[in-house]
Amino acid sequence: MDKILLKLVSLFMPVLEKTGVDTEQLYHILKVKLLIDGRRPSAMFAGRRKATATSGKATTSWAVSLVTLLMGAFLGAVLFIFQMPLVGQTVYFSMFMVLMSLTLITDFTTVLLDVRDQYILLPRPVNDRTLAVSRIMHISIYVFRLAFLQALPGIVMIGIMDGWLAIPVFIVQIIQITFLSILLVNIVYLVLMKLVSPQKFKDIISYFQIAFSIVIFGTYYLLPRLINVSVLAKIDLLHYTWSYFIPPVWIAALNEVLIHPDRANIVTSLMAIVGVTVPLAGLWLVAKVLAPGFNRSLAVAATSDGNSSAPVTPGIVRKSRFNIVGKIANLIASDPVENAGFRITWKLAARIREFKIKVYPAFAYVPIYFLYFSLNGKGSVNDRVTTLQHNRGYIFLIYLSTFILSAILQHISFSEKYKPAWVYYALPITHPGKILSGMFKAVVTLYYFPYCVVLGAVSIAIWGPAVINDLILAFFVGLTYGILMALFMVKGLPFSKPVLVKQSGGRIITSLLITGFIAAIGFGHYFLAKWETLIWALAVLAIIIYCIMLYYYKRQTWENIELEEF
Amino acid sequence: MSDTPLIQIRNLSKSYGAKLVLKNLSLDIYPGQVIGYIGPNGAGKSTTVKILTGLIPEFNGEVIVDGISLQHDPQEIKKRIGYVPENAELYDVLTPMEYLDFVGKLYGMEEELLTARAMKLLSAFGLGNNLNDRMDTFSKGMKQKVLLISGIIHNPQIIILDEPLSGLDANAVIMIKELIMRLSQEGKTIFYCSHMMDVVEKVSDRILLINKGEIIADGTFESLKQNHADTLERVFAKLTGRNETDSETDAIINAFD
Repeated sequence: MDKILLKLVSLFMPVLEKTGVDTEQLYHILKVKLLIDGRRPSAMFAGRRKATATSGKATTSWAVSLVTLLMGAFLGAVLFIFQMPLVGQTVYFSMFMVLMSLTLITDFTTVLLDVRDQYILLPRPVNDRTLAVSRIMHISIYVFRLAFLQALPGIVMIGIMDGWLAIPVFIVQIIQITFLSILLVNIVYLVLMKLVSPQKFKDIISYFQIAFSIVIFGTYYLLPRLINVSVLAKIDLLHYTWSYFIPPVWIAALNEVLIHPDRANIVTSLMAIVGVTVPLAGLWLVAKVLAPGFNRSLAVAATSDGNSSAPVTPGIVRKSRFNIVGKIANLIASDPVENAGFRITWKLAARIREFKIKVYPAFAYVPIYFLYFSLNGKGSVNDRVTTLQHNRGYIFLIYLSTFILSAILQHISFSEKYKPAWVYYALPITHPGKILSGMFKAVVTLYYFPYCVVLGAVSIAIWGPAVINDLILAFFVGLTYGILMALFMVKGLPFSKPVLVKQSGGRIITSLLITGFIAAIGFGHYFLAKWETLIWALAVLAIIIYCIMLYYYKRQTWENIELEEF
Repeated sequence: MSDTPLIQIRNLSKSYGAKLVLKNLSLDIYPGQVIGYIGPNGAGKSTTVKILTGLIPEFNGEVIVDGISLQHDPQEIKKRIGYVPENAELYDVLTPMEYLDFVGKLYGMEEELLTARAMKLLSAFGLGNNLNDRMDTFSKGMKQKVLLISGIIHNPQIIILDEPLSGLDANAVIMIKELIMRLSQEGKTIFYCSHMMDVVEKVSDRILLINKGEIIADGTFESLKQNHADTLERVFAKLTGRNETDSETDAIINAFD
């Protein structure tokens, strides 16, 4: 595919040559950039990519292409569901735009912010024009490939639905929506660059990645359950004035006017015209107004390494925050070694980007799962919500949140930058279990406890204060589950191991056994929940069990820990 | 050595915001010289190098290389310069051959010559068995070697080395030191930036000491020695105002009390 694209680009070479571009250099820059893109694992698959990264093989760009095609096919299905004018295409193009913008932001940012270009390309005799054109072409090729793959299934489907005449119109529509996405992404970038420092910028991009996973996960599980397809399919979009202002509606109007002229009226025609002109105007805006400013801030971000006179944060502010963490740490983990384990886990977990990208989506998965299971059933959405309120669903909710604990614990001992963990092995630590228990406590205090407090508050608000004893019991059973997981599944100190290719099969069985055990307790809890006093008694028992287990967890020795070679 | 300087720097100034990093720097560098460029952290060393190599296009003053003004025709100058940057920046998902092919072609080299030279150089640097391995598996020293090769692949007149020995083992260090001498005998001009005083002392014909954006010493090691102290390390310490190291170590030792 890259070769075809490069050939395509070569067609423009004679024209570019006249404008002062060294086409020979341009060709080689593009070739290498595409080669690098092909070998760099896609951020979209951040969770899975590690396996290939460590084995030294690239995620084949084929796999990525295939997934993009599949997504496109899912999108295309939307076109069939909605029969009313405009609706199908509006939904299709809205989702197309969201998907494309998110992919561009999460996946392409690393390419844009590649500081190495400064050192590799600038000292070579490459003129500014060639450099600028190579950048634009690289981005265009990337966007074009993405748009093409994502739209391909839709093109086929629209051909089946509206006849082959609709295909060229659809292609024009795709180009228009792509332009709009580029405009949107550019605005997002510019706003971010204005608001935050280049260092923060990457952090914010990682939050986009987290949002991306949540959006995909959420739509997959919840959307089919929440919307009643039969109702939505009959919706008359033009009935609502607000719909006139949504860009995808304009794009959809083009198909309406050209392919179904009998259904179109003056408003649709006007919107179709807007739909053709606005993206073009947007592209012009990007090229003439937004991009130059963007390039300038990028250059500043790239060259300002070290020399940037970063505003020094007033020491007082930092200190007070430090003290709060410190106080909590001293309170919960008083032993010096345990305290060190607590603080290091707390800080690294909150600062390491790859960890956050893998773990944070789990926070959103819990409510999504909960809604998915609770809403799974017959009857309308409203009926299902009322039944939910009458049974003891909150118990389920708290037990489900152990999912967070297991998500965190699965990742806590791994890091791409695991080398600094040599300190654990070089220092005379006689009881590594103390570091582990500090780590466990930090995970609980930083993530699980606040999360349960929020869920608990919500539960009390919905079901009343009678649920407190259930919450306490469930919370401590969850903690016990966490300890069991940590005991059997976490064999390393915090962030001390390289990301593994795959876990051994035995581990997965252990994990399933522990989860099954806790699930059994959860169901038992659910059936006993009527007897309030019994639950109180069980809650006390759970606390005692947890404390005993923590005591033993703390006594782990070096034999229980898998050592890493440095 | 000829009389016309190869590199002429006149009143070069550069500031980041209100901070003046280079203060009216003026320099003449003659063909075949090996310049040892030293100075404490933040003295303006990297900034000078980045201006010379075109990484920082905006500056005040004049830089003329081989009769060409840097502001006027930077590309023509870049063709004459080979640069080995300090932080080992290269596209490490590529193999050394792919990377050198890319860099060489940016210099407009012919494929045949380029491939042959890249293979010869890689073998000479002891990377003959890794020609087609991805560089993300390479050690720091191996990457540094590839970086060095990419700086000399187009046979430049001027070679700018910024801390080129980092990560290299003792044998490779000896080799690079010898290489620098040989290259200078071939008429190459070498601009060598480093914190390793003993190496600078041995390889340089002329030593430039920069501090706070100004050149505070300029001459052969012998002449610097006569004026100041017996080793380059001491010269450095004396001229950059760090001769009270005793009180510093005192403070460190006293911190344990």
